[in-house]
Amino acid sequence: MRRAKLEKELKEEHGEIPYEQTSVRELLTLMKDTTELIVDLAYAAAAFENRELAEEVRHLESEMDKMMYQIRLKCMLASRTMEAAEQMTGILQVASSTEKISDAAEDMVKLLDMDLNLRAILPHILSEADEKIHTIAIYPSSDMIGKAIGQLMIESHTGVRLIAVRRKNRWIFGPDADTKLFANDLMIVRGVESGCREVRDVAHGEMPWSEVIR
Amino acid sequence: MNQEDRLLLEMKNTSELMLDLAYSALIYRNRDMAKEVIELEDRVDKLHEMLIRSALSGEEQSYDRGLIIIKISDSIERIADAALDIADVVLRDIDLHPVVRKSLDEADVVMIKQRVEPKSILHGKTLGDVKLATETGIWVIAIRRGNDWIYGPDEGTTISAGDILYARGPDDSEKKLYSWIKAK
Repeated sequence: MRRAKLEKELKEEHGEIPYEQTSVRELLTLMKDTTELIVDLAYAAAAFENRELAEEVRHLESEMDKMMYQIRLKCMLASRTMEAAEQMTGILQVASSTEKISDAAEDMVKLLDMDLNLRAILPHILSEADEKIHTIAIYPSSDMIGKAIGQLMIESHTGVRLIAVRRKNRWIFGPDADTKLFANDLMIVRGVESGCREVRDVAHGEMPWSEVIR
Repeated sequence: MNQEDRLLLEMKNTSELMLDLAYSALIYRNRDMAKEVIELEDRVDKLHEMLIRSALSGEEQSYDRGLIIIKISDSIERIADAALDIADVVLRDIDLHPVVRKSLDEADVVMIKQRVEPKSILHGKTLGDVKLATETGIWVIAIRRGNDWIYGPDEGTTISAGDILYARGPDDSEKKLYSWIKAK
């Protein structure tokens, strides 16, 4: 079966390998998206000394390893000519850069195993970064409740990206547009200070979302 | 904030700018931006070294603090290295496979590029004035003005007609920035 698959793939013309190409593209998109998330999660895990966030960083890193392996396989199967092989090296180099980033992120969360007082140092530094990482709780009086992230278009209106949402005892990492927000959710966000302030005011019920959009 | 905090912060901000510039260089096949990534990597290496020296000298801190600073600095330095690897793809004269650009265009965070029109409301305003990042989620990473470049512009950077803005943002950024640029 494996051989049949290989032959089928080898039969496909160079430059138009529809199925495999789509897969490489999707993998690369996913790898890039994962690096954005994993680095933010790592900073947050370290700054807040949060082991659950650190665990997710480790999980994402192992997913990245798997994706890297997949992309290598696919690129090798797709290169039959010198030109194709050269082009594949470009794809592989970008992919392996993203993998390197996730390794660096995973390394950062190892700080949590070292019995250090991270809280005394990191939040202080990260709160001064161009884009800051904050935790924001959603109060029952907020009009964000019941709305999906994509519906509110939080990032487009405030520049604030949600890295994770904690709901009761559960975490949603890298929430997507369809993720709805509920009362008492704890959001971990990344963004510029003024945007974070707007999101916090709305989350705390001190301002309606319509005020942000106006 | 003490000196070390400031160095670490500069490293973090620089590594993020480097990644954005590297992806943007890749998408727009822009060698200038790729070269800037190399320059910035030199800076990150220097900062990394300064931080290690300072952390080991232990003059103003505990052993724990030194360890934390070194570990974080090391991770950031590796992220900067990864950005360098991406920039390297641009600088090696190899045709980039179209799949790379397509995959980056479909990412959660996209890279965009637009020229500021003569009558745009952005003309003459600073990035801080227009609050682009807060109002739209669009983060300007570089400005091309004639033959000059402004990398990592800040709130005080003035935008002029004719500038080419390179930015990153959520997936609707292209349309949003276009409407700002068109607005009179």
